[in-house]
Amino acid sequence: MVIVDNATAVENVRRMGTRSGCDVDTEKKEDGTFHIHLSKKGEKAPNGTTEKFPVEPADFSCTTVGPLVVVISSDRMGRGDDELGHVLMRSFIHTLLTLEPLPETLIFYNTGVKLTVKGSEVIDDLKEIEASGVSILVCGTCLNYFGISGDLACGIVSNMYDITSSMAAAGRLVIP
Amino acid sequence: MTDQEVYHVVLFNSVHHALRSEKILKEMGISHKLIPVPRHISSDCGVCLRFTADLRSLIEEALTGKVEIREIRPM
Repeated sequence: MVIVDNATAVENVRRMGTRSGCDVDTEKKEDGTFHIHLSKKGEKAPNGTTEKFPVEPADFSCTTVGPLVVVISSDRMGRGDDELGHVLMRSFIHTLLTLEPLPETLIFYNTGVKLTVKGSEVIDDLKEIEASGVSILVCGTCLNYFGISGDLACGIVSNMYDITSSMAAAGRLVIP
Repeated sequence: MTDQEVYHVVLFNSVHHALRSEKILKEMGISHKLIPVPRHISSDCGVCLRFTADLRSLIEEALTGKVEIREIRPM
């Protein structure tokens, strides 16, 4: 059982549990806390106990649990030469299509959002990635900052809550 | 597979030549795509220009004498 004090944490734990193959039950308590019960699918809690299943300490390790998430924080790959960095980023996005399995989520923020709008040289690749079932989250604040909100051509406009929780829930985070 | 779906690539000895070629093709409105050199062609970290086979002669004509090309070949 996990005890947390806010709804966002509930969602984060729920997501982690679900992805780890657990059933997740949440109880809201009068003191404002949430008690989250995680149980392996198909296993019932022993009668008369509050814990639904005995958990070995190692089961709490989530270093390899969770999806692959790729974060594109710039329209350049690496630091140094901008022109070269842009070529490398275009190659990186194109090559993502060859990954098996594909990432669960791509997150774009800062100048990375420029890759997701009309006229971007990688927009066809991104549309193909999205059509393959990959979730593409694009930072709305960043689109607004660059004045390109109306030009979004793939993915969904997202917010820092979704971006942060997706990154926190990732088993592996790739940031080129 | 139609002729439109058969891709060829232009290979270069330098990424600068690839970028110069891309600029030329963009200015001429010739459809193409800058991609990493496919693994089965070379294990080097490089980029090349991919295009549909039907554009081969047009692209050869556009780049010949303007940019140093290593090879044009099917993907």
